[in-house]
Amino acid sequence: MTAKQHELLSAFVDGELNSQELDELLALMSTNDNARADYQRYQLSSDVLRGYTNRSQPVDLTARISAALADEPVHQLNGHETKKASVLKLPDWFWKQTAGLAAAASIGALAVVGVLNQPQTAVTPELAQADAVQTQTAVAASPNRWTVGEQEVEDRLNNYLVDHNEYAGASGLFSYARVVSYGEE
Amino acid sequence: MNADQELVRRVQAGDKKAFDLLIMKYQQRIIHVITGFVHDPVEAMDVAQEAFIKAYRALPGFRGDSAFYTWLYRIAINTSKNYLTAASRRPPVTDVDAMDATIYYDAPELKEFETPENSLMSDELQQAIHDAIQDLPEDTATAIKLREFDGLSYEEIAQAMDCPIGTVRSRIFRAREAIDKQVRAVMGGEEQQ
Repeated sequence: MTAKQHELLSAFVDGELNSQELDELLALMSTNDNARADYQRYQLSSDVLRGYTNRSQPVDLTARISAALADEPVHQLNGHETKKASVLKLPDWFWKQTAGLAAAASIGALAVVGVLNQPQTAVTPELAQADAVQTQTAVAASPNRWTVGEQEVEDRLNNYLVDHNEYAGASGLFSYARVVSYGEE
Repeated sequence: MNADQELVRRVQAGDKKAFDLLIMKYQQRIIHVITGFVHDPVEAMDVAQEAFIKAYRALPGFRGDSAFYTWLYRIAINTSKNYLTAASRRPPVTDVDAMDATIYYDAPELKEFETPENSLMSDELQQAIHDAIQDLPEDTATAIKLREFDGLSYEEIAQAMDCPIGTVRSRIFRAREAIDKQVRAVMGGEEQQ
């Protein structure tokens, strides 16, 4: 092997090869066993120096992994697909916030629909003009507010509504969900 | 685009040989990482192989948001954990028959796993590498130290040493040749034992 080829191996240890040099390296590695052995020692020395390994002999899994991958299809990803994927990528926080808002919207919509479907608790224009306390009192006074017989279950449902209202109020959205009352009679 | 990114791009475009270079570059580190989870050397290499195969299959989805090694490292960790989870439902691998034991101990790539002799050899190798660096001319030693200990790129080393990048590359290569001479002597001594 020439000094230039050894220098190529050394630069690859450091990841400092350009595209043309990678072509040369690929050709060298696929035809020259000495180049592979020399590279393995260079890489081992570098890994030992950096504390990445404590081995005293290089291990080469390349042949067995290549054999295991022999039947695998080659990838056909082109530049367009890569670009498209990167455009569609959104940060994790975006999806978490979106999921949270979607859940809050669903619960809020269900609550509103449930109230509107109760015949004796319909929101009248007078109630809509009243202040928040009056509205809560009016709805709480309705005998059809809950159809649950057990006090324990009713308390739990009320707690759920309290929690929901706090979260809905905190987000600044669906404040009208407070139309549902949880006051005790 | 650095060499890893270029190799990844080539694998994604259908060049399997490019993946061989990535294996060659990172296999020692990956085995070392896996050995932290899977202590048995044979199993560690099996898990390493599995991790590289998983990486190859997942490579079309790798967009380069992190460095290739960081991505590969995560795959290796997950593969190790999954292996341990599955292994807890299996009999211990160390419970092997005589034939398996013969194969196990005859495998040349396993000779240097944790034994007192191997630990000694590892220490000897480290000492030889450090001695080789001590004996280097100052500019050569500085270049290899900035690269290996400080992790600087060739461009950064060139700026630090106020010389062209080509000179840095040449100095680091000369340092590696000197180190390799010592490494081969240690390995040669081991082969004679």
